[in-house]
Amino acid sequence: MCQISYVKSTFGLASRSERPIRRKALPPRTEKMDVDQDWPSVYPVAAPFKPSAVPLPVRMGYPVKKGVPMAKEGNLELLKIPNFLHLTPVAIKRHCEALKDFCTEWPAALDSDEKCEKHFPIEIDTADYVSSGPSVRNPKARVVTLRVKLSSLNLDNHAKKKLIKLVGERYCKTTDVLSITTDRCPLKRQNYDYALYLLTVLYHESWKTEEWEKNKTEADMEEYVWENSSSEKNVLQTLLQIRAADSSGAPSREELLGTKEVEDYQKCVVRLKNEGENEESLAQYKESVKRLLNLECSLN
Amino acid sequence: MAARAACAAVCRRLGQELGSLSVNGSKSSTAQAGGLLLSSVKRAPSSSLHIDVPKDLIKPTITTSDEPDTLYKRLSILVKAHDKAVLDSYEYFAVLAAKELGISIDVHEPPRKMERLTLLKSVHIFKKHRVQYEMRTLYRRFELKHLTGCTANVYLEYIQRNLPEGVAMEVTKTQIQQLPEHIKEPMWEALTKEEDSKS
Repeated sequence: MCQISYVKSTFGLASRSERPIRRKALPPRTEKMDVDQDWPSVYPVAAPFKPSAVPLPVRMGYPVKKGVPMAKEGNLELLKIPNFLHLTPVAIKRHCEALKDFCTEWPAALDSDEKCEKHFPIEIDTADYVSSGPSVRNPKARVVTLRVKLSSLNLDNHAKKKLIKLVGERYCKTTDVLSITTDRCPLKRQNYDYALYLLTVLYHESWKTEEWEKNKTEADMEEYVWENSSSEKNVLQTLLQIRAADSSGAPSREELLGTKEVEDYQKCVVRLKNEGENEESLAQYKESVKRLLNLECSLN
Repeated sequence: MAARAACAAVCRRLGQELGSLSVNGSKSSTAQAGGLLLSSVKRAPSSSLHIDVPKDLIKPTITTSDEPDTLYKRLSILVKAHDKAVLDSYEYFAVLAAKELGISIDVHEPPRKMERLTLLKSVHIFKKHRVQYEMRTLYRRFELKHLTGCTANVYLEYIQRNLPEGVAMEVTKTQIQQLPEHIKEPMWEALTKEEDSKS
């Protein structure tokens, strides 16, 4: 008959000799550290806070009544917060010494913004995003904005006006900046290529003159043009009537247009329409009308 | 190309430097850690970080290429966190790193944003008893001016590798470029000349 022996199972081993000998806790390493040690070799990389390796008497935590904040040994608050023990000024300087070889210098000739603008007129804005989460990607990172001043492009008068009309809201009149924002492609460099392509197409199309551009009416004009306008017709009509009433010789339209008063009046009207009404332009208009119609009276 | 080569060299160099330093550090810390930890299992005498450092270290050579470097007029870095102390420390680190690398830096603190929620305290009924939570987002903005592509890549990689846990970053780069060749002159004259010469 086999003897079944029941062995009592214990988690730790029962007798004192069979249990592994537990070493006594040695004093923390902080006691052996000198004041002028090389700290970057204690914390070379980002590591959690080790109370035995950091010789500072740090206390953290909300104290109990009539107590002090908890000490650093076994303190969870000190573990939770990110520590910068690996980024002391000494460590940062050492890292930068090693990194300096990979940096290049900014060209000294481009010290002001105007020079940058003159030699490098196109500005491209891109964005990158770094965050922790389930995904590294950020959909906002594919947006590219291209900004260029129209004064740096080779455009003549007609081309500039056509470009502004084609582009619409993307042109800012006060700063003379055209900004094209693209985000229709899935990748950033595709959006960049598309923005450059749009700029190229706009530039070349604005130099072309189509058939239907001849039908441009007065309402489409960006600024007031005096030739063939109602103001010109009115002035000429009035002057012709005055001259016809006064004397027999009726001067021709070209002669009237060439006279100094009419030219002066033209400049004043153009200024009023383009710049808007302010005191100086209104005063100038008044003077020119008086001279035109010979209404100068001496006020004494 | 130069930037990529430089960055690869940076990674290798940093890894090797930090690797060589951490090997020394971890050797001394495991002796203490073994004594303090209450484990009955015998620990293998290896550090928790596995770093493969070759015996004969060949220093990486810096390669330069002929193609022109990209130029950044402005680099705007916005850092977001929940804790002001972490942002202050990170700002000190970023400013010191920029000064050491010779980059002009400007820092300001945009106002914080708080998102507040008011929820019912209990699972069922008790409408009059609510609990309120808030999420604070604190900001710091670093403005760097006049950087080359290589310097920008080096600085950004250094900053981003040392970004603490729980902190997010947005980088806005403004690159300046010359007018491309095909925008210098309108092409219609060249096209008509070609047609004339063909016919």
